[in-house]
This record gives sequence, structure tokens and C-alpha cells, in this order.
Amino acid sequence: MSKVVDEWMGRLKGKLKPVGEMTHWERMAAAFELKPTDMVPVAPELDYWQITYAGYTHPEIYNDVDKTTDACIRTWADLRTDAIWMYVDISHQIEHFIPAEKRPEHFIHRGPNDYLLFKPIAKTLDEAIALYEERTFEKYGPGSRPATHYTPHMLQLLEFQEKMDRVVPIIVGIGTPSNFAETIVEVQKFVRWTITEPKAKLKHYLDLALGERLEALDFYAEHARKNGCEFVCLFGGARTWGPKQLEEFGYADKAFVDKAVKIFPHVFWHICGHNLPQAMEALTRWDGIQAVQYDMPYYSQKLSWPEWFESVARLFAGKRCAMNAPTTQLACHGTAAEVKAMVRQFIECTLPHTTAVIMPGCEIDSFSPLENVKAMIDTAREHRS
Amino acid sequence: MTAQGRDPAEAAGLLARLADLVVAMDVEGVRREAEACLAAGLSPTRVISEGLSAGMRSVGEKFKAGEVYMPEVLVSCDVYYKGLEAVRPHIVPSDGSVSRGKMILGTIHGDIHTVGKDVAVPVFQAAGYDVVDLGVDVSDDAFVDAIQRHRPDVVGLGTYMTSTFMHAGATVETIRRAGLRERVRIICGGPAVDPAAARRMGADDASDDAWEAVGKIGRLVECLRAGAGRRAS
Ligand code: B12
Ligand SMILES: [Zn+2]
Repeated sequence: MSKVVDEWMGRLKGKLKPVGEMTHWERMAAAFELKPTDMVPVAPELDYWQITYAGYTHPEIYNDVDKTTDACIRTWADLRTDAIWMYVDISHQIEHFIPAEKRPEHFIHRGPNDYLLFKPIAKTLDEAIALYEERTFEKYGPGSRPATHYTPHMLQLLEFQEKMDRVVPIIVGIGTPSNFAETIVEVQKFVRWTITEPKAKLKHYLDLALGERLEALDFYAEHARKNGCEFVCLFGGARTWGPKQLEEFGYADKAFVDKAVKIFPHVFWHICGHNLPQAMEALTRWDGIQAVQYDMPYYSQKLSWPEWFESVARLFAGKRCAMNAPTTQLACHGTAAEVKAMVRQFIECTLPHTTAVIMPGCEIDSFSPLENVKAMIDTAREHRS
Repeated sequence: MTAQGRDPAEAAGLLARLADLVVAMDVEGVRREAEACLAAGLSPTRVISEGLSAGMRSVGEKFKAGEVYMPEVLVSCDVYYKGLEAVRPHIVPSDGSVSRGKMILGTIHGDIHTVGKDVAVPVFQAAGYDVVDLGVDVSDDAFVDAIQRHRPDVVGLGTYMTSTFMHAGATVETIRRAGLRERVRIICGGPAVDPAAARRMGADDASDDAWEAVGKIGRLVECLRAGAGRRAS
């Protein structure tokens, strides 16, 4: 039972006007299941943006779970998107690998609207392997932000979801093995090591990361799924890999997906950046993923936006729901008219082939103007699918 | 007899082999071959520009054509540096090496993305610029200090997220307040940049592609030199 949730229940329960014929939950679930919806769902990953929107600064919410939850619900109550993403920052992901006294050096706040800056935890592959072999994440787990901030915030939002009779789903974000293996040492190092280090050694490291992530899924089964969580975003790493890396090291993420989809009914994958065609194809083969939040065409693909949207929609036809538009960049630097045009373009290119959900390929930046976020939502509301 | 004076085809062969080794990501090979080029009498400048840097350029072409990917590009960058390490001690001032301009480049405070910078710096070096890498999470004051110390033509701001890109304005303002704005041209880089927004914030240009940025930097340097301090509009 949490006070912040109960306050919002008092304000919202039984008082919300329906948006369309379906509930937000039904709309998202239908799109994921490739079934018709009354409107194209819209579910932007609002992360830091909603903190600012709700009138808080990041340093302010950093140590205050109630304010974090308040920001998420307040933003949703005003904008009525089709899902509420729980707020996740990098400290929620990796702090349990760092001893308490060292944590301040690892996380730096730049300003009131900024992402949290972090420093890598291990410098060499040996150090990274030792972190896992010594199970540091277990040693430093209690009292770290995954336990003190991430989990309570998640539980509050799930409590809201259930008390609101599942009118709107909460999206819980979970990092994949490749994401963790890269973040702990820094992507640029991991990526180089795929070429310069002995394969068996790097695989050993990745296996350790996979092991920790599979254990984490047991935690999510117990604490998220049992509390009603159905919608899960798997944050993929591996976004600067080539096809060779995918072939040699993709197995860890695949094994992770196999377990996640057995626990959660609605699983989607987050692949931001320049999307490697082979990775997009793999995501249509990894069974159980229902939707993919994708981003930009790969460097070597000379495609216009409509061509890109259409090529993905064709690839996903009968298999996956496509999630995109506008780009994170356009949401921030573009005009409302440009945002509208891009969302329309995405919908028009996608719907002939598969279902669509409107959301940028990565989180909305906190500097993005409100009118752009509104333009995205309004445009989605114009389209039946 | 030296390779300079010997068969030009032989010199070309040596340099082509060196370039190929950058593409092949062969650290040991590059060092050996660079030394072989020098031993054959090729000037350090030629070894760099027609060997190592030519290799980096072809890495860029192959990357854009989808023949190699980001991991290979990063390792090729490392190999390029290993080659430079072997050649640099042999450079003498009278060597005739001409830099196309001096640049400082760093990832702006609040941003830890480094892959882009790790690629952009060697690409700019291979294009003939003298680049000082300031590292990641560089404060506005550190940019000012670096301008005073290195006297660059161009300042590169690595801004890999929209939020840090939006701080480019503050960095430019700090440079202006230090009285250095007229001395330099400023270009932002990273996947989230937008040239028009960069200009609105007081920078001169922006690019999300290091190979394309080479042309832009060239124009900025020309502009700076022609305008003798006046900013490009
Ligand atoms: C890998 C990656 C990471 C890695 C970074 C590892 C590292 N040490 O670099 C990790 C996982 C750690 C990471 C963290 C985060 N990331 Co990140 N990341 C990426 C990703 C997928 C690839 C970046 C990359 O390496 N690209 C390959 C390089 C070669 O490309 P590049 O950087 O564009 O560089 C090229 C050009 O821009 C140019 N260039 C580079 N530098 C310069 C400099 C100058 C002066 C010039 C002229 C040109 C130039 O040359 C390069 C070659 O052409 C991008 C997506 C993308 N589209 O790139 C997101 C991306 C940059 N990340 C993003 C975000 C949001 C984050 C996080 C905040 C996530 C989070 N919630 O925690 C944190 C940031 C933490 C922080 N405070 O810094 C967003 C930024 C969104 C936005 N518009 O603001 C992006 C754009 C993803 C997206 N589509 O939204 N990320
Ligand atoms: Zn992302």
C-alpha cells in the first residue's frame, strides 16, 4: 500500500473519460497480438521527460521514489498515453555491482534536465569476469538502488495498474545480457574485444552476464509478474555489433528471451541506434517477442524514411508489431507539424503490413517541447488500425 | 637506393600493403610494414598520408558500403594509431608535412559516449588534420583552456545525446566569454545533432557522419582563414 498511489486513485478512479472504444491496455495488447485496434496505440518512453513535465528535477527525484512514481502517473493522467513506462536510469541497472562507498564517483548529475552520467565499473576483461565470478552483485545488492529505488517504484506503479483495474499497462524495462556485459566495461571496449580477445574468454564473460540476467528473471517473475506485470521491454545491447558478432555472441540474448517470454505475456525488444539488418531479422526469429521498438536504418542502407518504415513493416508482417516514430531527434528539434508528418508516414507505411505502436526508437529527450509530444499523441489518435 | 628514388611502383606497392594492413586490423603487420616503408626511404609524411591514412579512408568506404562494421572500424582505428606510433618519431620539421588545420575535440560534459569520438578523431587525422583528443566528459572550462593552449582552428564538440547537444550553447557561450569565439570555428558531432539547431546555439555546423564532416571542417577552416576572425554566418 503506498500513499502516492492511493492519492492518485482518489483523483482518477471512476473519473477518467474513456479514450476510444478500447481501454489503453486492450489497445496495446491487441496491437502486440497483431489484431485490429480502434486507434493506433501511442506509448512513448518518457523517462526523464516526464520528470520535467511533472515539475520535478532529476536530482530531486533521484532519492525520492514517491516523486518518481508521482511524475509517471501525473504525466499519464494528463496525456493519456496507452502505457506507462516505469522510470529507469542507469544507476537502477548497475549500482549493485559497486560497493556503497564507491557509488558517488560512478554517478554524476549534470543538470536538472540531464541524464545521469556514469563511469564504467571494470576496465579489463579479467576485472569484469572477476566481478561476476565473485558475485559482487549479490554482495552489494542490498542497499543498492535496484533494491531501494527501482523495485519500490516498479511495485508502486504495478499497484496503480492493478487498482485501476488494468485500464493502462505498466511497462517494466529489463536489461539483456549483452546490455549488461557492455555497460559494465563500456561498449567500445566490449566491441573491440569481440575481435581482439580470445573468443572462449569473451564467451565466458558473456555466459556469466547471462547467468546473472537469468537469475534476475527469477526475481522479476516473483516481484513483477506476480504483481500483475504483463508488458516488458527488453533493452538490448549489441547495438554496435556487426553480423559476425551477432552470430558468435547473440546466443546469450536469445537464451534470455527464451526465458523472459515464458514469464511475461507481452514482451518487446528495444533496439535503438542504427539498426543492423541482420539484428532486425534475428528479432523476427526469436520466438515469443511480440513487438520491436526500432530506430534508424543502418549506415549502409540508403533508405528514405518511408522506405525504411515499409521495409521493416514487410519484414515484420504476420510476426511482429512495429514500434517507431518520430525519431528522438525530431521530437526534440523538430516542429509539431514535422512530428505529425513523420508519425503519419510511419503509420501509412506500416499498417498495410502489420500493426503499429507510436513511440520514438529511444526515450524522449527531456528537452523535447510539450507540443511535439502532444502532436505525436494526437496523430496516433486519428488512425484506426 | 631508397624507395623514393627507386621504382615508384615499388613505393606504391609498399604503401598499398600498409593501407591494406589497417583494413585487415593487423597490429603487428602494421608496425613492421610501417618500419619497412621508412627503411626503404619513404618519407614519414608519405607513409602516413598514402599508407596509414589511405587505409583509414578505405575503412570508411567499406563501412559505408556495409563491407565492414563498427567493431572492425574501431579495431582498424587502433591499428592506425599503432602505425602512427611507429612513424611519428621519424618526423622531422623539415619533412614538409603540412597539416590542413588544427582541431581539438572532446565529448561534452555530461556525455560518456565515446565510440563516435574514437572513430571521428582518426578519420579527421587521416584527412590531414592535427587533432588533439580531449577525452570524454570535458567541461566548458577545459575547452577554453585547450583553445588557449593548443590554438586550434576548429573546436569539435562530441554531443551524442540530444540533452548534451542542447548544452553546446553553454559551451559556446563560455568560449565567447573567454574572448576566444572569433578565433575558432565550432562543429558539433554525434547521432543526435542538427546543423540548424547547432547554429541557433552559436556553433558553426554539425554532422552525424565523420566522413561527411571532413568536408564541413575543411570549409570552416577556409572560412576562418579567409574571414580573418569573422564568424561564418
Ligand atoms: C552504444 C550506445 C551507448 C553506449 C555508449 C558506450 C560508449 N562508451 O560510447 C551506452 C550503453 C553506455 C549508452 C548509454 C546511454 N545512451 Co546511448 N547510444 C548508443 C548508440 C546505440 C550507439 C552509439 C555509437 O557508438 N554509435 C557509433 C558511432 C561511431 O556513431 P556516432 O556516435 O554517431 O559517431 C559518428 C558521427 O556522429 C561522427 N562524430 C562523432 N563524434 C564527432 C565529433 C565531431 C566534432 C564531429 C564533427 C563528428 C563526430 O563520427 C562518427 C562516425 O561517423 C546510440 C544510437 C546511435 N544512433 O548512435 C545511442 C544513443 C546515443 N544513446 C542514447 C541514450 C539516451 C543513452 C543513455 C542516456 C541511456 C540511458 N537511459 O541510460 C545513456 C547515456 C549516459 C550518459 N550520460 O552519457 C540516445 C541519445 C538520445 C538522444 N537523442 O538524446 C541514442 C542516440 C540512442 C537513440 N536513438 O535515442 N549508449
Ligand atoms: Zn535506446
